[in-house]
Amino acid sequence: MANRVARLGIDVGGTNTDAVVMVGDVVLASAKRLTTPDVSQGVINVVGAVLSQAGLDAAELGQVMIGTTQFINAFVQRKHLEPVAAVRITLPKADGIPPFVGWPSDLVDVVGEQSYLVGGGSFYDGREYAPLDVAGLEAAARDLRARKIRSVAVIANFAPVRPDIERRAAEVLLKHLPDADITLSSEVGGLGLIDRENAALINASLRQLSRTVVSSLTEAFQTLGVKAPIYLSQNDGTLISTDYATRFPILTCSAGPTNSIRGAAFLTGLQDAIVIDVGGTTSDFGFLVRGFPRETVTAHLIGGVRTNFRMPDVLSIALGGGTLVRFDGDTLRLGPESVGYQLGERALIFGGRELTTTDIAVRAGTANIGEPKLVRSIEERTVATVLDAIHRGIEDTIDRLKTNSKPVPVILVGGGHILISRPLRGVSTVHRPQHAEVANAVGAAISLVSGRVDKIFDFTALGRDAALAGAKQEAREAAVAAGAAADTVEIVDIVELPLTHMRTGAVHLKVRAVGQLAATKAA
Amino acid sequence: MYTVGTEEDIKDMARGAVFLGSGGGGDPYVGELYLRRQLIEGRAARIAKASELPDDAFVVSIAGVGAPTVLVEHLVSTNTLLRLLELSEKHYGRKVDALISAEIGGANSMFPLALGARTGLPVIDGDGMGRAFPHLEMTTFSVYGCPSTPCVLVDDSGNVAYVQSTTDRIAEDVVRAICASLGSMVYGCFYPMSGRQAKDLAVHDTISHTLEIGRRIRRARESQADPVADLLAFLNDEPNGRHARELFVGRIVDVRHETRDGWHWGEALINSGRGDEPEFSIEIQNEYLVARHRGRTVTVVPDLIAVLDAESAEPLTAEMLSYGQRVRVLGYSAAPIMRRPEALQVFGPRMFGINEDFRGVEHLVPRASSGLT
Repeated sequence: MANRVARLGIDVGGTNTDAVVMVGDVVLASAKRLTTPDVSQGVINVVGAVLSQAGLDAAELGQVMIGTTQFINAFVQRKHLEPVAAVRITLPKADGIPPFVGWPSDLVDVVGEQSYLVGGGSFYDGREYAPLDVAGLEAAARDLRARKIRSVAVIANFAPVRPDIERRAAEVLLKHLPDADITLSSEVGGLGLIDRENAALINASLRQLSRTVVSSLTEAFQTLGVKAPIYLSQNDGTLISTDYATRFPILTCSAGPTNSIRGAAFLTGLQDAIVIDVGGTTSDFGFLVRGFPRETVTAHLIGGVRTNFRMPDVLSIALGGGTLVRFDGDTLRLGPESVGYQLGERALIFGGRELTTTDIAVRAGTANIGEPKLVRSIEERTVATVLDAIHRGIEDTIDRLKTNSKPVPVILVGGGHILISRPLRGVSTVHRPQHAEVANAVGAAISLVSGRVDKIFDFTALGRDAALAGAKQEAREAAVAAGAAADTVEIVDIVELPLTHMRTGAVHLKVRAVGQLAATKAA
Repeated sequence: MYTVGTEEDIKDMARGAVFLGSGGGGDPYVGELYLRRQLIEGRAARIAKASELPDDAFVVSIAGVGAPTVLVEHLVSTNTLLRLLELSEKHYGRKVDALISAEIGGANSMFPLALGARTGLPVIDGDGMGRAFPHLEMTTFSVYGCPSTPCVLVDDSGNVAYVQSTTDRIAEDVVRAICASLGSMVYGCFYPMSGRQAKDLAVHDTISHTLEIGRRIRRARESQADPVADLLAFLNDEPNGRHARELFVGRIVDVRHETRDGWHWGEALINSGRGDEPEFSIEIQNEYLVARHRGRTVTVVPDLIAVLDAESAEPLTAEMLSYGQRVRVLGYSAAPIMRRPEALQVFGPRMFGINEDFRGVEHLVPRASSGLT
């Protein structure tokens, strides 16, 4: 069974790479090492550490789950992106707003803004309003080859209802561009052409990088002698295969916060709570609802580009263990600057010259790291002022997230949780679970597998019950296809949005099913 | 006359259009991008006061009709809008001199501006409601004697429909039926009128309003000032019969949505965080229709209700409301032309099934400073 297998959970963050080994619900070992620029060395370091701690051989691992922020960081920093093109199948519709309108210029400088509009597409009910313009696609393919662009996003009108139109277009393109990486919009986004097109284009710009990162990870595990299948965590806390992640890097880009929230839930057994991940530079506040992170509801920006991706709704404030403490006369200035990963060199307790929030916590006696005698000269009044400000900042943010006045439980995770030492206003209980500092790796190790449906259904023709049952079945099948054990799959989310100005009975349904990863032969 | 010269202006106008949409009218994002596209290509929209037009000028309204979910897929076609204008001129037998928006709240504030930018036609600083409403008969044009038909409807595939109805209530039903049979999104040319009619029947200065409202929210956000205080100062224009109030600050504790008879119905319940009992409610029927504090009406249609995100002061449409959001709710009096008895017979509270007479927000909440809470 899936839960008897030794599972390795890894979180590759910007600063640290964390790992845990779990069997069933038990964390056997955990470790934290610096992330290396090539990613793989950091992974090799941390995996070596957890394996020796757990007394396991690499070959005994049954499953490997990795969460990484590499792709989102690359996109936000405009690093390692490749030129892309949009092939949009909408004519005679949508010529008024071509692709890339509204994109930041520094991004367009890197990925270009090459686009082709061709005929084809469907109405909301799946009827095609124009035939697919094959000649137009062939002309686009020839031009792409001349321009040496090899990562292409294909976007058709109402593709979530008629994904086959995009697939047919991809076949035509591949005939002329056999080496192209093609991202279909229906595979990365729901209804809303521009937001879905943007998601497809972001994904296209990351294809080359994802191949590099994933193969570097795979090689690292080969070096280590790991034989288990490797999965990556995606934004909703569920898993995809390395092959799938290579093709859809965008699906993994928000896995970090999701894993930390789900890890916190697992370590405490709580289903509803506020999770605060206190890192070196920021504290990320998320809301745990029935065991899953609360997701954003409105469209939002990734690196300046609007998408309709559902992401964990995380609020970040500039307060972490490395946050600089300064005074303008008597006025305290807390951050936003931070020494970040250089805490071990620049903070007073480590012989550095910067006063950080961690120094204050050590002086207050609530944390015991570094050399306490190096901060003995800090006045008690200063300590009180800074602690007041830290707790006020945390309390205000909790207040912004809460849905009602009832006190809520708070789970503290991440290395910086030592900053919080007092009871918090509006909070019922504060939990600091064991392994809190590697909650995100735990979150990766407990990831589930999911399937989604996002389509318009005709309730009048099908009847509501039959339409819902059909959508649920489709979501379940998608979860099993993604690797879930069929008997563990359950429907966790159903959203029904009735549509106006349409034939009565047209309803936009979003259904999500999740299940446990099926045990594999490798175990 | 002035031009909309920067992308920042367009973003501000879109934000202001959501504010004036009173919860409805759809997300203007598609229209906003379309207008930004014109500007990128070097075409700026020109805004003219109605008073700048000759009385015998010929003015029409250009609007998208359809489901917001379909608009965000099919977007908009320049070819279609140019064809609509050409067919309309042929149908009406004369050249169009200026465009006017029928509905400033939401997406339809942007299409006339974009087509104006594309063709060089000026767009009149005004519209037919100063907010969003779901029906063709619910405009000051219609109420005071300029019907929506004869109108011209086109889809992107080349289908054309000409409608002439005895009343705008019937026109609404016919246009809806045509829209549904053409994939649930059509563009139309409505309310053919003279320059004189535009001067007499429009709710004036509403384009400038969207720009000013959006700009004030953005600037207050950038300078960390209180955007609501600044907005109230701008909107409270008592010599011109306009009054604004902050009605409530709190968290949404429940939102219900459903669709019946092609309408979006719903209710948002809000409390101030001092208890779990909902203290404040907003009834939704496509738009925010009535706001009540502990059961007492504090703003009712056609006066406007705006719900702002408490953090960013971003105005929220009814579809954007969700459980747990912290919001600030504003009431804003409709323009005096919207509150006359003949107007209230078309879009007063009773027309939406609210069993009470219209009373203005300035009477329901007499204090000019905010604070029901």
